[in-house]
Amino acid sequence: MSTSAIDLSLPYKKRVDDALHNKQLKVALDRATGRMAGQRVAAMGAVDAPRLRAQVRQMKEHVLRTWPELLEQLETQVTANGGHVHWAKEAADLQRIVVEIARKANVQKVVKAKSMATEEVHLNQALQRAGLKVVETDLGEYIIQLAGEPPSHIVAPVIHRRVEDIAAIFQRELDMPPTLDPQVICGVARGVLRKEFLSAEMGISGCNFAIAETGTCCIVTNEGNGRMTSTLPRVYVVVMGLEKLVPTVEDAFLQYQALCRSSTGQQCSVYLSMTSGPRKPGDVDGPEEFHLVLLDNGRLDMLAKGYGEALCCIRCGACLNVCPVYREIGGHAYGSTYSGPIGAVISPNIHMEVTDVDKLPYASSLCGACRDACPVQIDLPRMLLELRRDVVEAEGTTLFDRAAMQGFSKMMQSRSSYENAGKLGSLASNVLARLSGGNLTFLPGPLSPWTESRDLPPLARHSFREQWQQRRAARKQIV
Amino acid sequence: MSNDREEILARLRAILRRPDLPFPPAAPAPLTAAERMVVTEAAGTPYQLALRFGQELEKLYGSYEIMGSAAEVRLALLHRLDSWAAEEEAARRGPKTEMQGQERMVLGWAPDRLPVEGLAEALSDIGWQLLAPPRLTSPEALANVRWIRFGVTGVSAALAATGSMLMIAGPGQSRSASLLPFRHIALIPFSRLYPTLEAWLAERRAAGDLELLLRSRAGWNLITGPSKSADIEMNLTLGVHGPRHVHAILFDDL
Repeated sequence: MSTSAIDLSLPYKKRVDDALHNKQLKVALDRATGRMAGQRVAAMGAVDAPRLRAQVRQMKEHVLRTWPELLEQLETQVTANGGHVHWAKEAADLQRIVVEIARKANVQKVVKAKSMATEEVHLNQALQRAGLKVVETDLGEYIIQLAGEPPSHIVAPVIHRRVEDIAAIFQRELDMPPTLDPQVICGVARGVLRKEFLSAEMGISGCNFAIAETGTCCIVTNEGNGRMTSTLPRVYVVVMGLEKLVPTVEDAFLQYQALCRSSTGQQCSVYLSMTSGPRKPGDVDGPEEFHLVLLDNGRLDMLAKGYGEALCCIRCGACLNVCPVYREIGGHAYGSTYSGPIGAVISPNIHMEVTDVDKLPYASSLCGACRDACPVQIDLPRMLLELRRDVVEAEGTTLFDRAAMQGFSKMMQSRSSYENAGKLGSLASNVLARLSGGNLTFLPGPLSPWTESRDLPPLARHSFREQWQQRRAARKQIV
Repeated sequence: MSNDREEILARLRAILRRPDLPFPPAAPAPLTAAERMVVTEAAGTPYQLALRFGQELEKLYGSYEIMGSAAEVRLALLHRLDSWAAEEEAARRGPKTEMQGQERMVLGWAPDRLPVEGLAEALSDIGWQLLAPPRLTSPEALANVRWIRFGVTGVSAALAATGSMLMIAGPGQSRSASLLPFRHIALIPFSRLYPTLEAWLAERRAAGDLELLLRSRAGWNLITGPSKSADIEMNLTLGVHGPRHVHAILFDDL
């Protein structure tokens, strides 16, 4: 069980409720998402953003259409570069493969750079069960590893914690003297983690994208932990979702720039580390063994079920930062490795255990801000609606729902019944609103779920048509 | 397992053959070189590009200076190292013994890989030692450079539009020199300075060696400014794992 403020195994409604009642979380989310969203707008506004988004989209569509060929090309090139390629259908396969690599190489300690794919398959836990020490090295990931929590944002994993919490964690776990200075806290982490980097035998990272034509795996970081992970340990393992491909070197740099601008509003991240196999003869440093593990874990199902567009995602987190729901409830309320609008689409498709996963498509107001922010123009609201349709088709509808929709359909077919229903609705809602003292805070019977999580304003006393007629009658006639 | 590989590829092909598949579109065109955009633009004379590079680096809390000749670079480097060493000395909290005699050492690329000649001698004249181990893969070799605070490298290319430096690892060109030390100095001749990332890529592609270069050199790093994080409540912290200070010395070699 997680020690997070929000327990991921609780039912969805309870998770959301806990998040909404957590005032510190609200402050932290407002600050972080607001700033990141603003930085993205500025960075994308400084370039020809529509063209950039269209080009990345075109490239990703081409990648998915030529997916098997690109995978084969990548495999051929990685192997030619002296690396090893492994294929994992499910989480358990990936865990087994990585544990086996570690055993063969006589590894005791693993340093990890931030990776959503390894979070998705709970790789850390599997390695620990196999007796290995696993150290997360991204500052945010390291903090939440010390706290025993999962990440709550694709890009900023410890977005939910204040500096006071982080200082307390460091004081408790690392004997840090009391301070609230982030630079001092960072210095402590640098010292502790440097020792780990220098003594680990294996480095594991995710993969932001891999270049098929050269067999190059690329990771984007700001701290330099990705560089350490791919440079110092003897063995370097890259875990990559099957879809994280780009055809050419130029495509890689195009996606890289779209990613940086959309994610943190940077022109370029501090580091882009590109690894083409183990170190070459004569190289001063670099790993002597290189492994690429390709992970399916439901990605092909996603394509088959019609949600392939979500496989264009480059994990920038822009949709989270603009989502009015994410900005209120944060990442943990989604109960999944992947949160926000993209998480609500990915989580029901990928093979993960998420409590109440069928509720996630409803964690959206369908306002479309995510679609507008996405650097790949992914139509998230459309997919969220389709997922809701899937849920209804799978679970069926209640007698009341069916009767209500039939009644609504009939009402909409006749002007008089529409007008009468409007009058009745106005009268009833205004009476109930008066009893509630403003907006409707409760609805009777089967309508009650509507007001469980929101108020309903009463209908206008007069319809638009009535108001329009009154205005026209009052207007002076000009002869 | 190879079985998994075959199953994944066969299933993928079967799914993509389905005529009713809503996504991806039937035949999306690949992005061609002619249509691919330059994301961040820059143009100008070599000096203007050097200035733009420096300004971009400064925005990211790096620093720069532009020199007229290689001789001036030597002096600038020595001056920078001495002033940084004084800063380090003033800020030192622990005893000097912890540095294991590495306080006046510089971890660098091999002298013949640096773009200015005679640097090792110039450094040694004023009590600095340029260290460029041929191998940094064993715990012992790493322990020998563990406390070095300064790194000196050249660049494979520098990109003015974004203030980025491309470092391609190879014999004599360690990945560690620009990564492990707390302070990093990059020496950038104008001949390695390009307006944009895309301009450098286009030149290499036209020369026909881009693919080979990437495949024959296992470690590429594009570096843009000092190591940083905003993980703690969105506060900027510098020098998380990589260098806290990045200084570029650009110079005219044309």
